[in-house]
Amino acid sequence: MKKYNLITALGFFLIVQMAQSQITVNLALNSRPQPWLSQWGNPINGQMIITYMKGPVQGEAQVKLRTTLSDESGSIVGASNINASRIYTLREGVNLFTMADALQLQNLVLSGKVQNTLQRTGRLAAGQYQLKVEVVNVSGEAVFARQTHPFFITSYQLPKLMVPADGAQLDALVAQSLITFRWTGLVPNTSELPTYRVQVFEILPGQTPMQAFRGNFPILDEPALRGTTQYIWRTSLPMLDDTANQKFIWTVQTLDMEGHPVPSNDMNNQGRSEPAVFTIINQMGAGNKDKMNED
Amino acid sequence: MKQLKKTAVIIILLLAFQANAQEKKYAFSVKGDMGIWYEGYGLDKNPSPAVPDFYSARKPWNLVRYSFNPTFSIGKWEIPMNFNFSPMITNFITPAGTKQNVWQFLTNPANNFGLRPKIGTTEFLLGTQTLKYSDLSTGDLGVFGYGVNLSPGKFRIKLFKGVSQSPVNYEAPTLPNPAGVIGAYQRNQWMAQIGLEKEGSYFTGFNFVKSIDKRNSVTTPPLSPIDPQENMVVTFLTTANSENGWKYHIELGQSFHTLNLNTPLSSVPVEDFKPFINAHISSSKDNAVLLGLAKKGQDWEIGTKFKYFGAGYFTAGYPFMNNDLIDYLIDARFNAWKKKVNVVASIGERFGNLSLTSGPDKTRQIIANVNVFTQFSDKLSLNMSFNNFGYDAPDLSGYKSVSNELSINHSYSWSSTKMSHLISATYTKSTYDETIVFVTTHNNTQTALLLYVPTFFEKKISPDFSLMWFKNTAPAIDLSLFTASSGLKWKVNQKFNLKGQVQYNLTTMKPFTANKNLLATAGYEWEIYKKLSWQFSLTANVFKFGTELPGNSLIPIYSGNPQYFETTMRTGLRYKF
Repeated sequence: MKKYNLITALGFFLIVQMAQSQITVNLALNSRPQPWLSQWGNPINGQMIITYMKGPVQGEAQVKLRTTLSDESGSIVGASNINASRIYTLREGVNLFTMADALQLQNLVLSGKVQNTLQRTGRLAAGQYQLKVEVVNVSGEAVFARQTHPFFITSYQLPKLMVPADGAQLDALVAQSLITFRWTGLVPNTSELPTYRVQVFEILPGQTPMQAFRGNFPILDEPALRGTTQYIWRTSLPMLDDTANQKFIWTVQTLDMEGHPVPSNDMNNQGRSEPAVFTIINQMGAGNKDKMNED
Repeated sequence: MKQLKKTAVIIILLLAFQANAQEKKYAFSVKGDMGIWYEGYGLDKNPSPAVPDFYSARKPWNLVRYSFNPTFSIGKWEIPMNFNFSPMITNFITPAGTKQNVWQFLTNPANNFGLRPKIGTTEFLLGTQTLKYSDLSTGDLGVFGYGVNLSPGKFRIKLFKGVSQSPVNYEAPTLPNPAGVIGAYQRNQWMAQIGLEKEGSYFTGFNFVKSIDKRNSVTTPPLSPIDPQENMVVTFLTTANSENGWKYHIELGQSFHTLNLNTPLSSVPVEDFKPFINAHISSSKDNAVLLGLAKKGQDWEIGTKFKYFGAGYFTAGYPFMNNDLIDYLIDARFNAWKKKVNVVASIGERFGNLSLTSGPDKTRQIIANVNVFTQFSDKLSLNMSFNNFGYDAPDLSGYKSVSNELSINHSYSWSSTKMSHLISATYTKSTYDETIVFVTTHNNTQTALLLYVPTFFEKKISPDFSLMWFKNTAPAIDLSLFTASSGLKWKVNQKFNLKGQVQYNLTTMKPFTANKNLLATAGYEWEIYKKLSWQFSLTANVFKFGTELPGNSLIPIYSGNPQYFETTMRTGLRYKF
């Protein structure tokens, strides 16, 4: 009897040892992943590596993942439903997974406020979070490996154009020498100052503003001094003649340190803010005189 | 030259058409205009080539645009056309390859090919249409396709299907195109409006806009993060005007947006919107509200607007729209002192980052404007305006900007039996304080402008003269600019007008010597005959850098001051029929 007890204890010890030592998980998560959780499948967000070393008495390892998301205070804001988790069969050696597999967004039960933000925006509120992934057996009772990784999430609000405001009218006598552009900064601030490119398009005769914006070559495409939100354009354009340079549409394109557009809802926009239209008028009388002559 | 010949042939054909039409006066008529417009641009730099490239071309070397905007009336049919297009590719914001096929040409946002045949209360929409349904659904985007507007009685039914984005293949950066082409999926768009309307009185109804990026529209798809998207917006709109001057505007919208159609189908986080949207894991759903109320009196008007756009509210009808905000605006206009004083004022406040997805705090923005115009007498008037905006993003590093601008303009005119004189003086002071990472910079500008316009009653020439001074001071910036400008218009005869302008600029960025710039423009408008007019202008711009850009800073080293010479020639033929 003593002998059987010893063998049973030894067997149990070996199984536990194998289970714990043969599966390891490594979360190579980008510390600033994309704010849209559905995009975590992109390699830029990192990957999860599960290493499985087959033991002498063990067969193929079937496992599930248990994911827990907690906020910076440590409170759990989301947890996966283990019953609905996918079963993975691990190959011996290194098994690679995307961060989307680790996050299990489809299977993640989020707390009320977080769920609401996700439904409305596809994102989490900005802040520090922790992702914990546990590799468990199919019933979810035994944990083979676990790792926790902190990450910071934020999304950016592109600048708003301030001057000239949408619909502004500029005096031709000033505007033909210079036009001052101002906009608000990128929110939130970044540790590395962004580059703002000021882009101005002339609205040609017969064109709508958006047609000119989407179809024309810019008459100005210049960067402002890094981090500053003002640009003085020395125009050198004749504007007293009502046949040319009378209506413009402008925007600011925000680029990160590497020159990539700051992401927004529609990446086709390439980090460009909502454009504004301004017109040139001869409010000092020269334009009125034109009309008098025409009459 | 080839283009001009083509245009001449079209004009002749049209004349023949019109002559034929006049015989059957009531059966067929055509009104409208057509034209050709050309711009040629030239740039010479000295030294050239140089590294760094100190000035870039700011226009295409050649640009031709055609317009054809007739309205044909055939019996009960009315067919307005709006063709405005260029055979050249000038796209910058939207991607375009080096060549375009016929479909890409037709759907290129730079081009417009639109027809709207109308009979009775039925209007067919063909080709490019820029349809404004409402502020929350669709409005400023050209869409190439087909549709119909029906307005039987008080019912309004609008349907349209088209393409708002051409398909463009991704091209990797290579020489001679180091930027490559980012590519784009073809975006199909469906729009519908169903409602009731009494013109000038009310409208109430629903708007529907759905767009989807066609994944198989490109053989080499764009790289992530440019992913195929799907969007659907439903809005309820009511506007009403009462007989006693009240105006009401209410619009409520909900958007369903799928960020990436390549992500798996899933009822998490949002459920399907059957039968329009099958939800993906990247789908989201959010709301927007617009409210407006205004009252108009005899000499006054006051109104208020309220706007809420949820952080996930997105419509393909306004792809650049800001969201995640609440704002309100109150504006007013009134006349006083026997209508000699006119006041226009507005004040508004906007809160952003409501979802807190861009930081721990909401942003706040204030905009206030007031403009007072006073006509003291027939000779003297005064205009004063004040604009203020402030922006506060109190996140961890704290960003804040405050701008104040005051502008005063006096105009004085007097006349004799032979001529009149106008003198106008404007002074503007603008302060712009910006705080980034707790460091505040003060950026101030001043502008002074003096204008003199003599008008000769018995002569055919009209000159004007102006002087402008501008100064901008900010940390490490002390920029001043002085401009002298003069224009001349000469009405040679009833059909021929000559115009010219000369402008000289001195721009000084301390401690450097001044940049010098001479701009000269000359042109004419010639009514060749009653229906055909020709406009022409030629602009030359010579810019010589001071020590701001020393020649010895360039590679290869240049001994003098770098300079460039820019020319722009614009000409247009317009035929009215």
